Amino acid sequence: MRAGLLALTHREVVRVLKLWSQTIAAPVVSSYLFIVVFGLSLGGRIREVGGVDYEVFIVPGLITMAMVQAAYSNNSSSVFQARFDRYINDILASPMRPWEINLGLTLGGVVRALLIALALLALTLPLADVPLRQPLVLVAATALGLTLFASLGVVVGIYAQTWDHAGFVNNIVILPLTFLGGVFYSVDLLPSPWEELSHANPIFYLVQAMRYGFLGAGDVSVALALAVTGALAAVMVVWSSWLFRTGRRLKP
Amino acid sequence: MASVPALQLTGLTKRYDGGFLALDGFDLTVPDGEFFGLLGPNGAGKTTLISAVCNLIRVTAGEIRVFGHPHTSREARRLIGLAEQDVNLDRFLDVEETLLFHGGYYGMSRAHARRRAREMMDVFDLRAKAGVRAPALSGGMRRRLLLARALMHEPRLVILDEPTAGVDFELRIELWRYIRRLHGQGTTILLTTHYLEEAEELCRDIALIRDGRLLARDTADALRRRFDAATLTEVYMKAMNAA
Repeated sequence: MRAGLLALTHREVVRVLKLWSQTIAAPVVSSYLFIVVFGLSLGGRIREVGGVDYEVFIVPGLITMAMVQAAYSNNSSSVFQARFDRYINDILASPMRPWEINLGLTLGGVVRALLIALALLALTLPLADVPLRQPLVLVAATALGLTLFASLGVVVGIYAQTWDHAGFVNNIVILPLTFLGGVFYSVDLLPSPWEELSHANPIFYLVQAMRYGFLGAGDVSVALALAVTGALAAVMVVWSSWLFRTGRRLKP
Repeated sequence: MASVPALQLTGLTKRYDGGFLALDGFDLTVPDGEFFGLLGPNGAGKTTLISAVCNLIRVTAGEIRVFGHPHTSREARRLIGLAEQDVNLDRFLDVEETLLFHGGYYGMSRAHARRRAREMMDVFDLRAKAGVRAPALSGGMRRRLLLARALMHEPRLVILDEPTAGVDFELRIELWRYIRRLHGQGTTILLTTHYLEEAEELCRDIALIRDGRLLARDTADALRRRFDAATLTEVYMKAMNAA
């Protein structure tokens, strides 16, 4: 294993664990409240969606929402902070290869998102009997989704000039798109043109892929959902790799 | 046969995106084992030069070689230790972690890094603060940690950008003593400073720069003779006024 990559990944995980109340506990509690409030309260009125109990139906989407937000916000804030305080220079001056730096920074958000997902699953299982029908699809969707949003976080962390810039993308782009991406409902239930518009939302495809992994059913074909998520993840990886390879925005 | 220079800059030019020309065709050779001082006013190009050598900025034109290796190569990077002017310590790490992770970035094994970190903490009197995070350290302790981090991976060329800026007299003397000892062990030192007495006290060779250009370069004695000056301060004033 490469010492530099290992050290940087370890550093990112240490940061996540040192700030556990903000990085792990807070998103787990807020997502869990969504599951409890929406699942158990609305679950009494909306019995089933697509043949699945409502409290079970919303779990995959809420886990997805928690994971993508964690992967994005972890990396955007970690990279921005490192630039702001200029301790990123210690990494940029080192003999680490550009792809090692990129991967090390990206993995911090991935680890944080996975810890949140596992905690949420552990807390949710006593409340809702969530099945795991397509584990390989779930693994693929998780890997592609986390690659997409962890890399987006790194890219925004590199471009951001203020803390507001990093927060803006989360609050104005990711969060609304997640809510409109079929987390709480099946888009098949929406009237036209909202159903069609939902298909232009990239997060919709990730939610569908994750839901397929858990429940074995979704609003679009799983191949399409994975392909769209994978294509977007590839774009983000190419973008972040280019930034580290050329030094653009990182080095004046 | 002459040894390979520790640092060789040929036609180094840096123009920032805004158009500001910070270095203009800069040539400089620092021999292996030298204690080299870089003097100049704010904005002269000292930090730009250092940042270029350490791959922290993109060079517009020219060539930089570190012990014969292109400065962008991993070999060159491994040979350089940098203590920047601003205290840029990782706010989430304590003293020991700062050193251990730095060692990791530079390819040191965990066991080797742990041994070396203990050694550095002893040398810089940081052992009692091993578990304290950087923001909770005093200014002097942060300066020591910055220097310890720069030396952690045993570089052959140590670049110190105003290492004693803002530190009290006692710590300055202590840092001088350590830097001298390091030079005595064969390490090449490139030092920038605003304190002329510091350059005179420590450096064997001194370069005066302004507006990204080399004005003069020699030993302190030779510079005094050349500028017909009694002190290095007088040399500095004459050189800067003539530029």
